Amino acid sequence: MRAEDRSFDRVIRVKAETSRLAEIRRFVEEVATEVALDLERVFDLKVAVSEACANAVEHAGCDAVPLEVCARLRARRLTFVVTDTGLFRPPCLPRESFQNRGLGLPLMVALMDEVSFSRAPGGGTTVSLSVLLDRGAAIPA
Amino acid sequence: MDVRVTRLEETPLLETWGDIDHNTCGSIESALKEAIDSGSDIVLLDLSQVTYIDSGGLSVLLTGVRLLRERGWLVVIAPNANVRRLLEIVGLLVDPTFRVYDDRQAVAAALVERVTT
Repeated sequence: MRAEDRSFDRVIRVKAETSRLAEIRRFVEEVATEVALDLERVFDLKVAVSEACANAVEHAGCDAVPLEVCARLRARRLTFVVTDTGLFRPPCLPRESFQNRGLGLPLMVALMDEVSFSRAPGGGTTVSLSVLLDRGAAIPA
Repeated sequence: MDVRVTRLEETPLLETWGDIDHNTCGSIESALKEAIDSGSDIVLLDLSQVTYIDSGGLSVLLTGVRLLRERGWLVVIAPNANVRRLLEIVGLLVDPTFRVYDDRQAVAAALVERVTT
């Protein structure tokens, strides 16, 4: 099989806690390194996926729902999909640091080639973060 | 996350290592606020050993800048290229209250200059 045709799926499932973000970033690094992304793009992916996961942890609240991150390589496009099953809810405790809330989304958009969000009928949220391995080249139809 | 607090030219210098994320940013936020609450108009943060930062850590820097606005500077020392890129994206590199220096010698020179001018 030619390298251009390569595709794979990887998944990591952890407890929805911020203490697990470092583990998720190691997973992102392993996958991104496997497809030979340069170090800058690996860093970007780690930040974007970590931000999406931090949001998911917040949505999960105190519920014991797992946090799932899927990595998918198709047609020279690497996509990380972050799914949480929690409902969106505003933070229950006002904290000063919430004055800076809302940085995560602009960072994801600034660092990724493509970002999309969707809401499942049950109320869960899915965030897809993609990088094109041949950035600048035409996207295959 | 461990934070070492020392002084450079009488100015508080915070130093930390590794990843500053949503899980670890609390200790650096506490140390930064403590330094500002103790009356320092300038706080130095050595990021030379920091490999990763995200909005958790960036929020701490933005909070520091807000608290020091019109008073002084939040100074970051030796961020790596990736960290520096994020500082730029969130607008910190053009904020007059925020400064970046490549090493401690450059900071020390700037502090001396500030005192004597």
